[in-house]
Amino acid sequence: MKERLLNILTEACPEVDFATETALIDDGLLESLDIVMIVTEVMQEFGVELTVDDLLPENFNSADALLALIESRV
Amino acid sequence: MNFFSLSFVGAVCGALLLYYLVPRKYRWYVLLGVSLAFYLTGGLSAGLFLLFTAGTNYVGGLLLSRLNDRKGRLTPEQKKTEEKRIKALKKWVLVPVLLLNFGLLYMVKYWNFTAESVGKLIGTGSLPRTDWIMPVGLSFYMFQSVGYLVDCYRGKYPAEKNFLKFSLFVSFFPQMVQGPISRFDKLQPQLIPGNVWNSDNVKYGIQLALWGYLKRMLIADRAAMVVNQVFDTPEKYGGFFYAFAVLFYCIQLYCDFSGGIDITRGVARLFGIDLAENFKRPFFATSLADYWRRWHITLGSWMRDYVFYPLSFSKPFANLGRWARKHFKGKVGKVIPTAAATFVVYLIIGIWHGANFRYIAYGFYNGIILTSSVLLANSYSLWRKKLRIGEGSTWFRIFTVLRTTAIVFVGRYITRAPRLLVGLDMLRKTLFSPCLYQLRDGTIGNFGLSLTDYLVVAVGFGIVLLLEWKLEQGVDLQKELERKHPVLQWLCLFLPLVLLCIFGIFRGSGVRVEFIYQQF
Repeated sequence: MKERLLNILTEACPEVDFATETALIDDGLLESLDIVMIVTEVMQEFGVELTVDDLLPENFNSADALLALIESRV
Repeated sequence: MNFFSLSFVGAVCGALLLYYLVPRKYRWYVLLGVSLAFYLTGGLSAGLFLLFTAGTNYVGGLLLSRLNDRKGRLTPEQKKTEEKRIKALKKWVLVPVLLLNFGLLYMVKYWNFTAESVGKLIGTGSLPRTDWIMPVGLSFYMFQSVGYLVDCYRGKYPAEKNFLKFSLFVSFFPQMVQGPISRFDKLQPQLIPGNVWNSDNVKYGIQLALWGYLKRMLIADRAAMVVNQVFDTPEKYGGFFYAFAVLFYCIQLYCDFSGGIDITRGVARLFGIDLAENFKRPFFATSLADYWRRWHITLGSWMRDYVFYPLSFSKPFANLGRWARKHFKGKVGKVIPTAAATFVVYLIIGIWHGANFRYIAYGFYNGIILTSSVLLANSYSLWRKKLRIGEGSTWFRIFTVLRTTAIVFVGRYITRAPRLLVGLDMLRKTLFSPCLYQLRDGTIGNFGLSLTDYLVVAVGFGIVLLLEWKLEQGVDLQKELERKHPVLQWLCLFLPLVLLCIFGIFRGSGVRVEFIYQQF
């Protein structure tokens, strides 16, 4: 599952190292457009439902945080 | 009461004295009293608008909070039946309050424009108009209050139970004129507990406010003289002076708006309150998207959280996404919904500025460029790699900054001109009819500015850019100043005052007292 998520993230923002970054939102590496694209792809790929309420920095600051969110919805 | 009157300065000094004299737990009452007094100088009707906004959002917030509490107390068995019902009830609270607030804003700000436009379209002359005058700051405090309401809907925090405390959040006086648009969970914890005297707050607040006054009264008000002359009588000038006036308008607009925000944040800081930044060195932006993340930041982030995200995740846009994936291959199909939401957001930002076709056109202008950049991002990246242009290269950075400045520059033709067609004509003449002979015939001396005035604008704005360049490099100017000799620190505090006395425009001809963004 993590591999699939990393593919989605890398396709959205190829220049970011999602394997190691832990402050994607705090450091401004992910912008709102990126987040929307990522969330749309994640919903499509994993069949989960995410809403505006999930768009919190702590859910998107790292790939692991986002993975935890997805796993909680599966 | 305007920021440039001695009575405002006197009122702030008086409020400050009272604030730090009363016991801490009553200090928020002082802020509320001063805020209401400040606002009521605009008339009783201004107070009624404020009361309406505060009242509707207060009640809405309380109802939503109660429904959230009810949802939180549901047992797993109850959740199956009750969750959907509570969600529906929450919408029944949210939607009417939103309609009341935006309905009022529409009637005050946009109805007359609609009445005229529809009347012309159907050939009956204007529909019935209203004579309501838009109260100062309505767009700003209404957005701020609606943001709170939506946060309550989302269960981000419990609603404020005390109406007077909530009214302070809505009416806090420094931000009434032109923002910034604050968030309840960031501002309220600073307003209510009562802040302790801290001489650093007073020092920093005075420095920031004086810097704001300098930007407005030395630079913006001088630049305004050129801008007003050219845009009020464009028939007297050729393309070169249109470009000249737009350049001065860019300087005026930035120094006026950011200067006003500096005054706002400086005054708030005197009371120990740190308002959100609204500008982050926009002239160093490397793309139009970056520019909008640096200009009027609080409006942009409000639009992101309360328009862009909800729109992007709404059913119509989800359907658009499915349709786009089916008909377009690769990344294009995936970005179309995002691009469409972006377009809508910037159209709304354009319209937010006012009821005029030129603001709608401005929204289109930004929307089209930003949407294109989203759709073409991959191709752009590929071409950069093929041409071996490193993203970190200095020359590329300079190119992107100049490119962004040019895009913003063109957009200003649209917003400053009295009418859209006049703005487009001025742009056309800038390119094809510069009338360069006007450089030799003394036109430049006809704007009411002496050589000294032009130098003040040039040197002043140069200093603004230099300091911002330092900030862009990560230098903490405040800390740097504190490391300097105390004499230099005091000089930095009093020099602005001296400069204001010598060079400040206190009431130039044709220069208005109000801030440009106050009209929005």
